[in-house]
Amino acid sequence: MRRVTLIAARLALLAIVLASWETLPRAGLVDPRMLPPFGDVLRMLVELLGRANVQAAIAVSGAEFLVAFLVAIPAGAALGILIAESEYAGEIFKPMLFYAFSVPKSIFLPMFILVFGIGFQQKVAYAAFSTVFVVIMCATAAVESVKQDHLLVARSCGATRAQIIRRVYVPSMMPVLLEALRLSMIFNFTGVLIAEMYASRTGIGQLMANWGENFQLRQLFAGVVFIATVAILLNESIRWLEGRCSIWRT
Amino acid sequence: MQHLADLMAPRAGPEAAAAIEVAHVSHVYEGRDGAVPALADVSLAVGAGRFTVIVGPSGCGKTSLLMMLAGLRRPTQGAILCAGRPIPDPDPLRVGVVFQEASLFPWLTAVENVEFPLALRHAPRDERRARTIAMLELVGLTGFGGRYPHELSGGMKQRVAIARGLVQDPPVLLMDEPFAALDEQTRMTMGHELLRIWSQTSKTVVFITHSLTEAVYLADEVLVMSARPGRIIDRIEVGLPRPRSYEMMATDLFGRLRDRIWRQLRTGN
Repeated sequence: MRRVTLIAARLALLAIVLASWETLPRAGLVDPRMLPPFGDVLRMLVELLGRANVQAAIAVSGAEFLVAFLVAIPAGAALGILIAESEYAGEIFKPMLFYAFSVPKSIFLPMFILVFGIGFQQKVAYAAFSTVFVVIMCATAAVESVKQDHLLVARSCGATRAQIIRRVYVPSMMPVLLEALRLSMIFNFTGVLIAEMYASRTGIGQLMANWGENFQLRQLFAGVVFIATVAILLNESIRWLEGRCSIWRT
Repeated sequence: MQHLADLMAPRAGPEAAAAIEVAHVSHVYEGRDGAVPALADVSLAVGAGRFTVIVGPSGCGKTSLLMMLAGLRRPTQGAILCAGRPIPDPDPLRVGVVFQEASLFPWLTAVENVEFPLALRHAPRDERRARTIAMLELVGLTGFGGRYPHELSGGMKQRVAIARGLVQDPPVLLMDEPFAALDEQTRMTMGHELLRIWSQTSKTVVFITHSLTEAVYLADEVLVMSARPGRIIDRIEVGLPRPRSYEMMATDLFGRLRDRIWRQLRTGN
């Protein structure tokens, strides 16, 4: 019963936010040119999704996101595991990685443009670059989350190296790895959009930047709603997986 | 291996074929500030079916010794025979190990934890199930097989760990402070349960503990170790009859044995 009330309260909150978004501009309490009513934004979103140039932009951004993801995740995971497994490599590389992680990646955008131009490659390179550090850090944490006791137990039970990896490392690391996947998705998505908004000929980020500059706020907010929905769906689906995999993490 | 025979000679009664023989074992490990001697010239023999308890101050190398008996670590010097053969690598068919708390895999149920060693060597499903069910019954956990470790109490978790150590029916069971994290009451119960399981399975047990009461209550023989580098400074034969009962703890003999261990530990430091 309490869970039902909780869900109801959350839905009510969402409804209040959207209803205010709809009514405040219509009542003239907020300038409708700065904040178009929610209904208008939704209608604009449906219309935009039907346009060929918008569909093409979505496809480009999606492809950039996917390729950057496929580059950053294996590279970061391999580096992170290497660093965690070797004591010396860890001691040498870890401080540097922490420093690199703390630097805002967007300041390197002009460099990426000089090296890669403003096309597909540059988006992928920049997004992968801005993602790879969090993957490395998470992979290191994942390896370190494997308990020495469990390794000892597996060895005492006669496990081979391959069996230890499959039956101890993988399940031990799974919760942290899923968390890594979630975080890196957010970083990656942000990387693609920022690169597109900064300098690009296509992609959703470029459309958004254009709409903003041309004061087309209905289109801009439609883009916001679309990107927010995609990001939330991606995030929640991995969180759902995490929940399933970590029943024991209490 | 002449020295092994010498070592065994005074103790080799008709009932006591040695299950474990340790001859002049030393262990040195590389610490941050260079080589640290953990064990110095340790020799001992454990007769088959005997319950031997090792006590010693923290860091005296008793866990190192246990690791070597399990084939998880190799001695720097000396020889170890387990069930008649050296044990350079872990061999779950000869030696089962029960560790301190939290050694169960949290992502596996009790049944899956117990059958873990069988799964590693791809034992047939029927055999796995049969052995696992028999083990859970032995340790008094029938009906709890489907639970995850976080759904079990501390005592129940260690019962599962014991079942896992025994599932391949090894002649030797090594236990490294298995009840250290339990509350006093549970600890007493588990000690009693362990003796029951031991009498039903006739394993050779080597058990490490910090508790003097637990040592005297469980053991046929108590080995007392010195501070690092660990040596064996006393061997105490516990003459209490079996089966042991809680009432024995109040007897003079029990108290005298415990005092003797305590004195040895203090002077040994």
